[in-house]
Amino acid sequence: MNQIILAIFQALLVLLVAPLFSGIARSIRAKMHSRQGPSIFQDYYDLAKLMTRQDVRSKDSSYINRLMPPVYMGSMLLIAMGIPMLTQACPIPFLGDIVTIIYLLALPRFFFALAGIDTTAPYAGVGSIRELLVGVLIEPALLLPLFVAGLIAGSTNTGAIATALASGTVPPSLALILAGIAFAAACYVELGKLPYDMAEAEQELQEGPLQEYSGPSLAMLKTALSMKQVIMVSLFAGVFLPFGSMATASIGALLLALVVYLLKLLVLFGVCAIIENSVSRVRYRLLSKHTWTIFGIAVMSFAFFLIGL
Amino acid sequence: MSAMSLLLASLVLSAAGGTLALLTRRTGTVSKSISCIVGATAALLSSAAGIIAMVVPSQSISFAGAFPFAAFSILLDPLSGLLVTVISILAFAAWVYGISYFDDYLQFGIGSIGFFMNMFIASMLLVVIVDNAFWFLVFFEMMSLTSFFLVIVEQDEASIRGGFLYLVMAHIGFIMIMISFFIMASMAGSFDFSAFRDLHLSAPVASLCFILAFLGFGFKAGMMPFHSWLPLAHPAAPSNVSALMSGGMIKIGIFGIVKVAFDLLGASGGQVWWGIVVIAFGAVSSVLGVVYALAEHDVKRLLAYHSVENIGIILIGVGVALVGWALGLPVVAGIGLMAALYHLLNHAMFKGLLFLGAGSLLHSVHSRNMEIMGGLSKVMPVTALCFLIGALAISAIPPLNGFVSEWFTYQALFDAAMGGGVLIKVVAGAAAVALAITGALAVTCFVKAYGVTFSGVPHSEAARNAKEVPGPMRFSMILLAVLCIFLGVGAPVVAPVMQGVASSLLSGSTVAVTSGTALVNVGGTSMVDTSLMALILLATIGFSIGLRALLAKGGTKVCDRAWACGYEPDSSMTMAPSSFAASVKLFFPRLYRMRDQLTAACLRVGSFFFGAIGTARKVEPIGDKYLVDSTISLVDSIGEATRRVEGGDSRVYILYIVAALVFFLVLVALM
Repeated sequence: MNQIILAIFQALLVLLVAPLFSGIARSIRAKMHSRQGPSIFQDYYDLAKLMTRQDVRSKDSSYINRLMPPVYMGSMLLIAMGIPMLTQACPIPFLGDIVTIIYLLALPRFFFALAGIDTTAPYAGVGSIRELLVGVLIEPALLLPLFVAGLIAGSTNTGAIATALASGTVPPSLALILAGIAFAAACYVELGKLPYDMAEAEQELQEGPLQEYSGPSLAMLKTALSMKQVIMVSLFAGVFLPFGSMATASIGALLLALVVYLLKLLVLFGVCAIIENSVSRVRYRLLSKHTWTIFGIAVMSFAFFLIGL
Repeated sequence: MSAMSLLLASLVLSAAGGTLALLTRRTGTVSKSISCIVGATAALLSSAAGIIAMVVPSQSISFAGAFPFAAFSILLDPLSGLLVTVISILAFAAWVYGISYFDDYLQFGIGSIGFFMNMFIASMLLVVIVDNAFWFLVFFEMMSLTSFFLVIVEQDEASIRGGFLYLVMAHIGFIMIMISFFIMASMAGSFDFSAFRDLHLSAPVASLCFILAFLGFGFKAGMMPFHSWLPLAHPAAPSNVSALMSGGMIKIGIFGIVKVAFDLLGASGGQVWWGIVVIAFGAVSSVLGVVYALAEHDVKRLLAYHSVENIGIILIGVGVALVGWALGLPVVAGIGLMAALYHLLNHAMFKGLLFLGAGSLLHSVHSRNMEIMGGLSKVMPVTALCFLIGALAISAIPPLNGFVSEWFTYQALFDAAMGGGVLIKVVAGAAAVALAITGALAVTCFVKAYGVTFSGVPHSEAARNAKEVPGPMRFSMILLAVLCIFLGVGAPVVAPVMQGVASSLLSGSTVAVTSGTALVNVGGTSMVDTSLMALILLATIGFSIGLRALLAKGGTKVCDRAWACGYEPDSSMTMAPSSFAASVKLFFPRLYRMRDQLTAACLRVGSFFFGAIGTARKVEPIGDKYLVDSTISLVDSIGEATRRVEGGDSRVYILYIVAALVFFLVLVALM
């Protein structure tokens, strides 16, 4: 029962803090541009305003278009229930398998890309193709580091890996550190931030598949995309930096874990924001060079694992 | 009634249906109705037989045959039960579908279509249940011949070309299987499979038999690099026959590999390297199959290439099972084989569904070219929804069936990597990466396949005038779509059955694959629960829909057209299949160059035989020509390969360094 409450709490937490972290990223961006910038709560105000706007869609679009934002958000809520965020173990163990998580991420991607084609807008379609190909190029780099970590810890369950790392039964090895680096880089590509904001690319593609959304649907989609960022960062933090996560259930430990978790997110989002604002966009066709390099790091971690380093 | 008598009744009905279809061929509609109704009844009987056979002990029966050297004996064990189930469910869907769909084929002689289709299904059933090498080969040949006639039904140039290539390839495979069986028969002194099972062959002889059978059945299964006939032959047949071929017939290739390795050579024991070879072929097939599928704009060719991909995924499972079996790791063998068999079943269902969907498109738009479709989900909502379910299932999206079997495949790879030596770890890691790439590419491919046909705006007059397909066709698609959902969400019920089939091949060693409603991997303490996942997913999506409805205050509006940055949008601006292909080619140019070379090689084999017919008249040094040609192309390709090695790209050099590192590490670890 406690686990179910924790799972629902995690899902709602991700839902509620997602706009805060995108607001913080905006604020850091403004500071780096030497601007005053908006309040860190600006994204909440934006969402509230979008909710009062009209929901417009083109007559050529179909049910896919209407269904996509809830499917996206629903998948994010589901994934948020499974991954170890506050605890070392997964709140719902059967959602916390590495293969399950990676394949669950394909569900929103499928609908996101399909909706882009469904709107019939040309830029949205180009954005769809990019979204899918980023997925193709990054998926091996997401899987292999987790596979290596799983082999080291003896389980493909993210909670079991996190527990093994946090409790010290698995000492930090070179292979594990490289796997962590590769996974962090792969997660960063998945965030869709500069220099890898391929699908939504504001200047080139006019927001890609988001282009045809407005009002409440856009608000939901924007929230869901921020949720995905929080989830990817939490996944990295939960699996590779599980220190401070709750090992045994108690209210005090939970509160401590919550504070530690939010601090970890804050630091990681801060780092992401700094990277995001100090680079320019990668040319789309050169993306594969970056992703293969990340994959190369993952292969190296696998090689080091094989010789037991 | 016992499973055996149900199955025999079904075979008799098929024979009767085929004969009646021929007798009534003058009046096409009568002939069509008779063959469809009798065929569907026969399929119902045999599917009941198959389902029973999977869960009860094996049954066998023997008839006095015409040949003293080969007894006509039938064995219905769990493995053949699974194949009988797969073939029969597809056959049932195909026959019901045919009630309406064959109306488009009346001018091609429905009597012979009905006859050959009945014979085709019966021969597939017989191949999987006969227990004698001689009869196996006879029915295997009959299966190839009857399906050949179904491929060339339309009698245009493309179908004859595809059919001929198919026939040639089927026979190359057939010869290899025959040699393998003859070696075993000469050792055993009998054609009976029961005699083969008692053989204790030395490792080299067993390996020879296995490799010959693996390659021979590989031709039938359409694995790389013997796949080129598949995208030419399957699309040419009527769509419900394509569903049977892609969903059912190529599985007989897998059946053969599994049967030879675990059943016939069971007493001789397997070798680890067999498994590694199978995994390697599987991994290459899965990645290249989907890469090539992406470049297609003919919907049936796209699906045919996806069969190559899924055969690859099944082979990865079979290979892991072989490795686990040879190393004495029962969990690895059990989960690997179970994953392979589960994926075999799943692929039959969603590929059957998608081919029927393609048939509906063909029926309504009168074309297989996706470039001219678009916007069809508005006029064909049932077809669209079924196709979407099939697309999600084949993309292994949780909680549908494709995900379940791929999850088990990953788990088997993980367990193998945990339990095996360095070499096994490397192979398992590489195969897991190949699976990951395959999964992501399949998502891409099916967003394309659904998107450009059912979403967007119509790209032609034919697409604008399309109508929803008639009831029987909708029924078949809905049936298979429901099965796809059931095999995913109902996995806690299905997985133990599949495990039972696998354990019957692994001398009865069982592995727990479920715990409560969860699917578990006892080797890695991992679990997943598709039924609860489906419930939670419905709840969270429902919550999101409710949230949007609750908080939205602005109302909705439908506008006339999408925004195209100030341009006047028209239908030519929306996404076309080639937009996808162009992007993928951007990232994987070398793989596509390889496809062209493979296809050319395959066509060369085909045209060799085609040419041989003409050469009877004019004496031309063909052998010389091909010998010289192939030598030249070999030299060319070596030159090309060395050029690529010296690519001058720093990333490539890094890759070489990593590869060399891994190689030497493996060498050190092995010594």
